Formats: sequence, structure tokens, C-alpha cells
Amino acid sequence: MTSPPLTDEAAGAVVDAMIPLLGIPMAPEWRDAVAANVKATAAAAALVLEVPLDDAVEPAPVFRA
Amino acid sequence: MTLSATDIAAAVAAGRLTATTAIADALDGIAARNPALNAFTDVVAGRARAKAAALDARIAAGETPGPLAGVPFAVKSLFDVEGLPTRAGSRINRDRAPATRDGALVRKLEAAGAILVGGLNMGEYAYDFTGENAHDGPSRNPHDPAHMTGGSSGGSGGAVGAGLVPIALGSDTNGSIRVPAAFCGTFGLKPTFGRLSRAGSYPFVASFDHLGPLSRSVADLALAYDAMQGRDPDDAWQAERPIEPVAGAVEAGADGLRIAVAGGYFARGGHPECFAAVRVAADALGLAATVEIPEAARARAAAYVITAAEAAGLHLDRLRTRPGDYDPAVRDRLIAGATIPTAWVHRAQRFRRHFQERVLALFEDVDVILAPTTPCRAPRIGQARMVLDGVEVATRPNIGLFTQPISFIGLPVVSVPVRPDAGLPLGVQVIAAPWREDLALRVARALERAGVASAPIGTADHA
Repeated sequence: MTSPPLTDEAAGAVVDAMIPLLGIPMAPEWRDAVAANVKATAAAAALVLEVPLDDAVEPAPVFRA
Repeated sequence: MTLSATDIAAAVAAGRLTATTAIADALDGIAARNPALNAFTDVVAGRARAKAAALDARIAAGETPGPLAGVPFAVKSLFDVEGLPTRAGSRINRDRAPATRDGALVRKLEAAGAILVGGLNMGEYAYDFTGENAHDGPSRNPHDPAHMTGGSSGGSGGAVGAGLVPIALGSDTNGSIRVPAAFCGTFGLKPTFGRLSRAGSYPFVASFDHLGPLSRSVADLALAYDAMQGRDPDDAWQAERPIEPVAGAVEAGADGLRIAVAGGYFARGGHPECFAAVRVAADALGLAATVEIPEAARARAAAYVITAAEAAGLHLDRLRTRPGDYDPAVRDRLIAGATIPTAWVHRAQRFRRHFQERVLALFEDVDVILAPTTPCRAPRIGQARMVLDGVEVATRPNIGLFTQPISFIGLPVVSVPVRPDAGLPLGVQVIAAPWREDLALRVARALERAGVASAPIGTADHA
């Protein structure tokens, strides 16, 4: 299942919505760079999310090599 | 400091060299060359001289010195050093109280007779592949100081590549030992996830953080690695593994090992010389086989998501109170990381398990896999964009294209320095199954013995 790539506007909206929740005093001039990183992360996540995983696949936060 | 750790330890043990002289030589070299290289951010000269004198006194009294007797070493500034704030390349951490105890691996190396001479420059909070640092200035490549060392263990690569110390410690979350080792022309070992204690080091991404050594020879790498093994109750993430020494095994050669070159993802998307370096190594080993590591691009993407999310979680309080004190390149990624949906992170961790199962299955048919360490040579300092496969991309994140999928599942890797032409050094990753550092080091040593992997000292800062 794939989502369309995040637009610049949508990435900016994510930042605007989340910053008050996170309580980070973000300077206005940082917003575009932060939004660009949100967009890059969404693109990376999309690659991962499109892989169907069986529900039995356990997460690996406790990872044993 | 042109002697290897192995040579220094042997000479000190035999009484041909004192630790005091070995340390004085190292301190002289650092004083002479560090202004041009910017590898060291702290030099602990007084401590080092005192430890050297004490070691010499013990040897004079008849005590048998350890396997690293008198060997000077240095550590990335995220390792605790008693008396120094653990700055981790940041401005913010300089306000921390000085560490009250050395980090676990510093204690292990010193217990074996090695002597710490300083802390090393690094990308802020290890969120970096360049070795640049907004607060301390960039660490500079000893083979051409106009070029990056790579990062985030930039000072570790620079100090070893320049011959200022024979051994340095770094950390590797997504490639931060292997990248500077490749760019600075040194060997670097990222052990299996959970092998070495992380206690007393400043974290970045708990899911992926590894610590390990850089050196100019496989023997030195093995010597340092063996001295650092062992279960440490202070590290809750460390695996329950016995000490499995490798120093006696590295000379066994590559004969009998099933070795293949990584194809697909690891054979495209980089500059031709990077693949030429892998070919040089493969030819020296007489290899024709290739193996496809499946879903590597997705593995890198999942590592990217988890890295951003965990790092943001680690730094959230500081982002709320002191965001202006971060390196802007780090801050913007951390703030973005704080917005990542938890469901994505959970999914990425589930993908990690899936990817691990697929890759472990490959090791039923191969013992060791070769892949390029980086997709390019060391870029120029400050170079923000580069061209890969005809596409212009951001330099910073793409340096780690080939290292990230491997550390994502904690496989042991030795990055070996290979120069397929007269240009700056390149690295080849020698990748083994979990807990088989011995096999990766055997192949690295075979390449060294064949003359295709070597780490001549970089002296370009003298020019």
C-alpha cells in the first residue's frame, strides 16, 4: 500500500501542527529545513511501509544479532 | 608515530622502548600536526605521561606488561574520559559535569597497557557522515586536508590515517566507523551489535549504536578488539557472549571460506572507482561469485526512520530548552525526527526483523560478503551536493548508502583501505555473519597480505 509523496505544503503543515504539541521553540527560519526533513523521512518510510509483513513478524527494539 | 601498536607493545615488553618515550613521541606528533588536521579536541598530556611513567616503573619492577603496553590511543569525544565533560561533538554537552570515570572500553584498553592521549573531533552527537563540526571546525583528511575525513568518527579517521596514534576508538550507528576509515585510508572494525560494551559512551540511536577500533593494520585491529571483549554488567544491551579472541585466527587466510561480492543495490549508485576497489579485492581473492542482499534500499530507509525517531527522543528535552545551541544541520533533522508517527517506527522495527531473517539465510551459502564502503571518495569539505549515477543528490545522507543496511542488522564488518588508482583512498566492506568477526578479519588480513589493502600514513598536511 503506497501513499502519494508528501508535498512541501503538507510537510510544512505537519511541522506547524506538531511543534506546539512537542513544545519546541522553533525559530521561523528553521521551518523550511525541518519540513524538508519531514518530507525526506516520509519518503523513506513509504519504502518501508509498502512491504507487506505477516502479523507474526515481531518488532526488533530488543535485538539479538 | 609511525610504529604500529603491535610493534610498540613488543618493543616496550622487550625493554627496547619505554612507554614514556612512546607517549612523548605521540604527543610531539599531535602538537606538530593537529593544528592542520583538527583531529583532537582534547589532549590529556599530563595524564598520559603519568600513566606511561607508572607503566615503566611496573615493568622495571619485573611486572609483565599487557598486550598493548605503552600503545598510545585516542577516543571519539563521545567516550567518557575522567575529568572531561563528554562533549560528543556538541556545544551543549560542554556544560555537563566532567565524567567521574573512563568509559568501559577506555578502561579495558588501559588495563591491557594502552595509554589514552586524547579525545577526538566528531560530527555533533554522531548524527553525521562528514566529520564536519559547526563548533570545533571540520576534521581534515590527512591525505588531502581540503577534503572530508568522513564521519561521524572524523577525528578517529584523521588521527589514525595521519599516524598520530596507531589505534583510535569510534562509534558506528549507520557507518560512522567505516566511512572515516574508508575516506582516511585506514582499517576499521564495526563488531557485531551487542559485542562490545557501550557503557560510559554518549548514545545516539540505542537500536544501532556500536563501538569499535580503527587502525592501520589488521593485527592492530585484532589486538585492540580482543582487549575490549568481555561482558560488562553496566551495559544492559550487551549480548551474553563469551570472549572469543581473534588475534590467533587472523593469519588463517581466506582459503576455504565462501566469499561473494554483493550485487544489485551494492553494485550501482556509486562512482565507478568504488566498485573498482571491490573488484581489486575480489580479484585478489580469486572471486567470481556474487550475492544479492535483498531489500537493501528498504533497509537503509528503515534505518533512516528509526535513527531520526530515536535520536529525537533522546534529544527532546534539549530541543525544547536549547535548540539554538545545536549545529543547525543536526537540529533540523532532530526536530523533524520528533514528528515521526510511532506507527512508522514500529513498522520499521518489524521490517528489521524481516530483513534480518532474509539476510541470515544468505549466510547458509556464503561466509563473507564484499561491498563498497562508500559511494564516493572523500568529498571536499563543505561540499553540499554530489552526483551519483547521473543524479544530483545531497552529499551528507548519501555517503552512508552502503553502510546503513549492514549496521541496521548488526552484522560485523571490517572496512579495509583499498586504492584502485592514485586518487584518495576508498574502502571495501568485508561483512560476516553475526559473531564471526574472526572471518571478516581473516579476509581483511588476506587482502592486506596480498598487498591490495594497506594504510600508508597520510602526510598531505605537511605539504
